[in-house]
Amino acid sequence: MSREKDAANYALVFFAALSVLLLLFPASKFAHTARIAVSYSLYPSMHYGAKYGHFIRNVPTNFVSLLETDQENRALKGKVRDLEVKLRNASALVSENERLVSALRLSRSLPWTGSWARIVNKTPADWYGSFFIDKGSDDGIAVNDTVLGMQDDRAGLAGRVLEVYPKFSKVLLLTNSAASAVCAISPGGLEALVEGKGTWLLKMNYVPEEASVEAGSELLTSPGGLLFPAGISVGKVTKVYPRESFMNFITADVAPAVDVNTLKEVFVVRRNIPGDLTGRGQGEKK
Amino acid sequence: MSFFLEIFLYLAAGTGYWWWTQNLTVFGLAPNLLFAAALCAAILAGPVKAVAWGFFLGLYADMLGANMFGGYALTYSLMAYSVHTLKRHFDMAGLFPQLVAALALSWVSMFFYQGLSLAFAKINPLGLKIFLVEPFLNALAVPVVFQVFYGLKRRTGAL
Repeated sequence: MSREKDAANYALVFFAALSVLLLLFPASKFAHTARIAVSYSLYPSMHYGAKYGHFIRNVPTNFVSLLETDQENRALKGKVRDLEVKLRNASALVSENERLVSALRLSRSLPWTGSWARIVNKTPADWYGSFFIDKGSDDGIAVNDTVLGMQDDRAGLAGRVLEVYPKFSKVLLLTNSAASAVCAISPGGLEALVEGKGTWLLKMNYVPEEASVEAGSELLTSPGGLLFPAGISVGKVTKVYPRESFMNFITADVAPAVDVNTLKEVFVVRRNIPGDLTGRGQGEKK
Repeated sequence: MSFFLEIFLYLAAGTGYWWWTQNLTVFGLAPNLLFAAALCAAILAGPVKAVAWGFFLGLYADMLGANMFGGYALTYSLMAYSVHTLKRHFDMAGLFPQLVAALALSWVSMFFYQGLSLAFAKINPLGLKIFLVEPFLNALAVPVVFQVFYGLKRRTGAL
């Protein structure tokens, strides 16, 4: 036990003396530079605070410049990364701005009064049925107001306001299976009923057999319909089905004028339809 | 063979400490694996090896920083010697003595290194957050490192 104790004492004296020597004698230029190089390689930071000058003493200026350049390079790389993120954000804003400017220019030429609203919530389960917009009764939105969307610089019928809350509203899309609109088929002006099917396509019903309907015919809202102003583009006929033997009218598929999938903003047209005609008030929520 | 294994263990402890402080810090805190390795080596090794391990692990810690060179080497050498003295009176292989020793010696080492730093470089290196939390992290790390070192000692005869 005594030998072991002696060995421990000798070892302590030896290593303590070595440590003190290292502490007492300032490191040579080469040794200190090597130490800073190793330290910097493992922890690339030069945040020595107020003692910066003390820590880089004895180190050649060129070597310190190299380390500072590396620090600057790291900081600049971080800034470039931040700017890349900002640039992507900015390009999204630019495209949104272009879209809004384009839409706003069109809105000035629209014959109806109303306001723009942003779509705030689309439900995957009801994708072609309805969505919410960020304007409500506080902004003058009322039940049955017409909702237009912009597609290829043209206004098209998207749907109508179904429920109104103070800060937001629910829009019933024309593609909803519960929605329909009375339309006039261009150029003849023959009227037919266009109904939603819950898919991206609409269905046109009650077209007389003898009517000259063909693929590509454009449908506009009819003056005879109460809910929508006349002359709004509803869509184009894509396929005409032959008359079934048990029916005396033909049907057709209609591609909507507005693609719900790309809508971001909508224009809500004030309708001021007399409440007696539409039962207005039923859809208003407090 | 065991000499090379010890070199490997030494480098592994240093690399492990470096990796942990680079990737696994929480609020800028990490257990001081160099301290834990020095303490465990002091518990398991003979008298000379214990102090030598403390000295070289301290030297590694000195190389990582830019403060005075030799400060950690002296601190860990003394710490290893004190562990060597303690293990004659306590069973340092037990969990509880290891926890107590890790806690107490962490604080003592911190104070000692701070004293050295103030005396030689007039720099106060001790952050309050590290002073308050690191000893507890060390106390958690020491039993784990001890088991690793103990396993290696039994299998290979290292330390």
